[in-house]
Amino acid sequence: MDPATLIPTPDAIPVHWGWFQFLLLLTFYLHILLMNVMLGTVIIAFVRHLQRPADSSLLSREISKKLPFSIALAVNFGVAPLLFVQVLYGHLIYASSVLMAALWLSIVAILIAAYYTAYIYRYQYNKMTDGRMVATGLISCLLLIIAFFFSSNFTLMHHPETWVRYFDHPAAMLLNFSDPTLIPRYLHFAASSVAVGGLAIALYFQRRQKNGEAEAGEWVRYGCNWFGYATFVNFAVGFWFFGALPKGIIIPSTLVGGLFSVFLIIGVITALLAAIYGLRQRIMPALCLLLGAIFSMIMVREFLRVAYLKPWFSLADLKVATAYSPMILFLLFFAGGLVLIGWMLKTTYQVFQNGEVQS
Amino acid sequence: MNYPVWQLDAFGGGLMIAMMAVFHVYISHFAVGGGLFLVLTELKGIRDKNQSILDYGYKHTKFFLLITMVAGGITGVGIWFTIALLNPAATSILIHNFVFAWAIEWVFFTIEIISLLIYYYTYKRMDQRNHLIMGWIYFAAAWMSLFTINGIIDFMLTPGDWIQTHNFWDGFFNPTFWPALFFRTALCIIIAGLFGFMTATWIKEDNLRRKLVRYCAMYLLIPFAVLLGSAWWYKAALPIDLQNLIFQLMPEMQPFITGFIYLSPILILGGLLLAVRLPGSVTRPVAVIMLLLGFAYMGCFEFIREGGRRPYILRDYMYSSSILKEDLTKVQQNGLLQEAKWVSYKKITTDNELHAGQEMYNILCLPCHSIGGPLNDIIKLSSVFSETGLDNMMSGMEKTHPYMPPFAGTAEERRAVAHYISYSLSGQRQSKETADIIPVSADIPAFDANVDEYVLLAWSDLGIQSMTDSSNTWMMLPPGVTLNASLIHRGETPEVITEGVSLEYMVATDFNNPAAQVDFWLNTAKLYNKEVSVNTGLSGSGLSGIMKAEKSTFSADLVPLVPYTDKGSYMPYPTVSITAKDEEGKIVATTTVVAPIATEMACRNCHAGPWRVENRAGISKLAAENVLAAHDRLSGTSLIAQAAAGQPVLCQQCHSDSNGQQSGNGQQLNMSAAIHGFHANFLSGQDETGCASCHPTAEDGATRAFRGMHHTLELDCTNCHGSLSDHALTLLKSEQEKGNKRADVLINRLQPNAVDTVADIKPRRPWINEPDCLNCHKEFQAPEDDTTFNQWTAGEEELFKNRTDESGQLRCAGCHNSAHAVYPAVNPYNKELDNIQPLQYQTEPFPIGSNRNCAICHTIPMAEEMHHPNMLREFRNQ
Repeated sequence: MDPATLIPTPDAIPVHWGWFQFLLLLTFYLHILLMNVMLGTVIIAFVRHLQRPADSSLLSREISKKLPFSIALAVNFGVAPLLFVQVLYGHLIYASSVLMAALWLSIVAILIAAYYTAYIYRYQYNKMTDGRMVATGLISCLLLIIAFFFSSNFTLMHHPETWVRYFDHPAAMLLNFSDPTLIPRYLHFAASSVAVGGLAIALYFQRRQKNGEAEAGEWVRYGCNWFGYATFVNFAVGFWFFGALPKGIIIPSTLVGGLFSVFLIIGVITALLAAIYGLRQRIMPALCLLLGAIFSMIMVREFLRVAYLKPWFSLADLKVATAYSPMILFLLFFAGGLVLIGWMLKTTYQVFQNGEVQS
Repeated sequence: MNYPVWQLDAFGGGLMIAMMAVFHVYISHFAVGGGLFLVLTELKGIRDKNQSILDYGYKHTKFFLLITMVAGGITGVGIWFTIALLNPAATSILIHNFVFAWAIEWVFFTIEIISLLIYYYTYKRMDQRNHLIMGWIYFAAAWMSLFTINGIIDFMLTPGDWIQTHNFWDGFFNPTFWPALFFRTALCIIIAGLFGFMTATWIKEDNLRRKLVRYCAMYLLIPFAVLLGSAWWYKAALPIDLQNLIFQLMPEMQPFITGFIYLSPILILGGLLLAVRLPGSVTRPVAVIMLLLGFAYMGCFEFIREGGRRPYILRDYMYSSSILKEDLTKVQQNGLLQEAKWVSYKKITTDNELHAGQEMYNILCLPCHSIGGPLNDIIKLSSVFSETGLDNMMSGMEKTHPYMPPFAGTAEERRAVAHYISYSLSGQRQSKETADIIPVSADIPAFDANVDEYVLLAWSDLGIQSMTDSSNTWMMLPPGVTLNASLIHRGETPEVITEGVSLEYMVATDFNNPAAQVDFWLNTAKLYNKEVSVNTGLSGSGLSGIMKAEKSTFSADLVPLVPYTDKGSYMPYPTVSITAKDEEGKIVATTTVVAPIATEMACRNCHAGPWRVENRAGISKLAAENVLAAHDRLSGTSLIAQAAAGQPVLCQQCHSDSNGQQSGNGQQLNMSAAIHGFHANFLSGQDETGCASCHPTAEDGATRAFRGMHHTLELDCTNCHGSLSDHALTLLKSEQEKGNKRADVLINRLQPNAVDTVADIKPRRPWINEPDCLNCHKEFQAPEDDTTFNQWTAGEEELFKNRTDESGQLRCAGCHNSAHAVYPAVNPYNKELDNIQPLQYQTEPFPIGSNRNCAICHTIPMAEEMHHPNMLREFRNQ
């Protein structure tokens, strides 16, 4: 059976695909950052609890307070890229989702479990002893399972040639183990989470240190070390990922291949520099370089997707049934929302700065 | 069919989305209404200068946050996951059309999350003014997210002008957008009250608890007027045919509609109850029950909204099977297997038939029909059908069940799906064996042409006749065969004798106790309001008796024959001996005649149950009851109740029937128009096998009643009577011309075959306007055509069974036998059984007098032609 005959026909999009590509990259970037913070900090907290079960450090206490926030924001910022990826690649992602079926859907239950466990960790923190290790361990595992399913789905969608397995397994629950890039890709995201989590910890405690808290200082160094070493581990995983790519998928002389290579090089260099600055506790430069590295890597990921899909589909194939007004309305609401959120955050920040009390 | 299908069995039929969505929607409505509740409660605490109210507000906010952010928020994403798994094609259409509506909703989600987190975590720290502003921002953002998703949800049921324009704004601001928005807003506030009870009833301090429980009750009670008003508005905003469909025509909607209607006053009363001063030990359980009732209330509404959309996922645009409405005809013509991407086969073969059937089931049926699960379990629903019946039902399911789609595939594919359902899911094994017919003997009475002075001819009125043998439940066709006879005194000029002789008839000894075989005689008083003695026909004829002399023939009306021997075996051709005696009692002639009567009526194909007798004939009680239940369901009658109360239903109590001189109730279609007009929905596009579903003419059945010369020439029912659709249309047309509105409905569902349009159909009354033999046998010559339609006898006199020869004395049927069994007939029980008289008088099975055998009656050959043109020749079909 020719796999191309299985690929569903995509529906028309309301504006040029470039708009959706831009929105996808922007919101995915934000999601990845938030997701990394969420996953990274809980893994670090878990390791901390594992190493010192009786310890109730400032670090883990703060992580327990912040974890529900980071989950809420990571999930919320996951909604937008999920929306835009369905617009551009829906016909592929729906097919791969159905092939995974119950596994894909289980993400919902797993996420609820992780999220409620995070609240338990937060509100029962003081009463727990070994429970902290169990809670953070559980949350880490659950989130890592979710991450694995995401990696599976978004790679399975690249491989229509494996979709014929469906006919022997209509109850689905198919994964993508035949793809040698699945495991390194997954581990690359996981390791990067730990790294970003470490830097987020360093950044947070640096601010508290600047506000006068002396004990915050040890956690700045702690976070920086996690960041630096996790990034070095991530280089190894990254090379594994790169090596597992199919031969010839990236042809540097093409536009896609060329851009892939450029962004990959930028990403590697900025990540390396970020790690070095991080280990030197130069948080701000490390942060800027990290943000640049992640941006570059997301671009790399996108070009890789285009390269994988080249035999099957390209975005230019999508038909456009033009309707600009809803997008314009969205952009207006988006801008307005940013302003409103900005005001809310500013007002709240002032409360915490001034220590205002309800009058 | 463009996407793979997730094969769920018990969890199929939409159960996953039902669970995910009702759960999410209940909590998300709380998330909206609760936002208002939080701010107003804080305001109340400030205005009343009551710190404990503010403390309550703070606690309730935590409760609110934990429920709405986690369970509520994640299941919202869960809905996206679920719909993309269950119906990716429809999801794709929604996403591609409404992406920016969802993007706008996402902006509001972000504002909600941030504002709620701020609201909670700065409850005791922020200044009043700003804190309240945060709360109001939360509520406004939450309500706006409701506003936004409302457009998309309502679009699915009432797409409005979008169908023509495909314009975002037409689709978003669709016909039910505004009523649904008011409805849901009211519901949000009500649900906020219900959740408020959960925290308020747990307050320990009595005064505060009572105060706040009463406060929560206001949220429950005040919006109810708006809720019920907007519910009425919502219903009125639906297109009329959709209102009719949901509220009248969908039986499975009834429990949800009833639930919604009953729960409304129950929730109001519950709210009033909680507002009264009651101890905490009472209010707490009541609060929990109210919360669960609220969930059920929400569930009822959402089930009505979602279920009422069937057979569409996007009404008027895409079916639940993901097939676009505009593509349906193409799929039916080319075949589902050709058009679908994710199927294993492109053609059905005997090897792959079951698997292909399963794959097609998954595409076409699984979206609504679970396999062994709670939603529209196909195993339960299909259990009343035989495989054939199921295939028939599927061929016309959308006509009587407008919430079902037309079958999206070829007839062959439909049979494969029916086979899969019957064989694999229901475990039925359809025997395709031909009925085992045990031959009987045919005794030909003696006739000596040199000695005998009389020729006695006898025939039954009808060559094919059925009776229904489930009289305890209902009666449509009573037992009884009308026999006719002619006595001819032989000579050069024969004489037809009706005086000075008596013709006695006697049924064969095997058939002497019909009352022991059927329940008819237990019910005659109830059915016909008159006493009928056991083993006596409706006209008073017994198992033996004297035939009544008429103009030129004798008749015995409705001789009480049933197709069961005294041993209970099925035998649809009982014989009757006729003996002519002169005034002294001397026998002058005898003969034997077959009196056909059958109960091979396959109601059980669709109406449950086995055959009643010997796996080949008879209507079982189960089938009979199912017939009434279906009639009740589709026609709004209460016949099952009537039968259960001991009063079996006579179909003709409503449906007039000239065959039994029943006048009906003056409102319904006549019996023939009703039964054919309805069943033609499911038996169209078939040749004579459609007729054989009810009439005992199946080629492999136990009766094979169409057995005369025409059958041997390979004509079938449809040659003279038209296809079932055409046949039904002729009857319905006649009723339509009388002004019967039901006829219009049934006519609209049928397509004519033999003519181009319904306007070309010539109406006919049953039993009176029938095909005329002379349509093909023009002027008694050899026919040039073998098919006739739309030419009916003007009245009863022209019917074959009533017609006579040129002399006016001899009935056509006397020499040729009854219609459908014209000589030479081939009876499945014995080749000679239906040719007794020809064999008796001329040793050849052809019509009496064939092959210039006029001497049978005339004693000498004849040179001139009489009786009818073109008879003085060799019989054409030797």
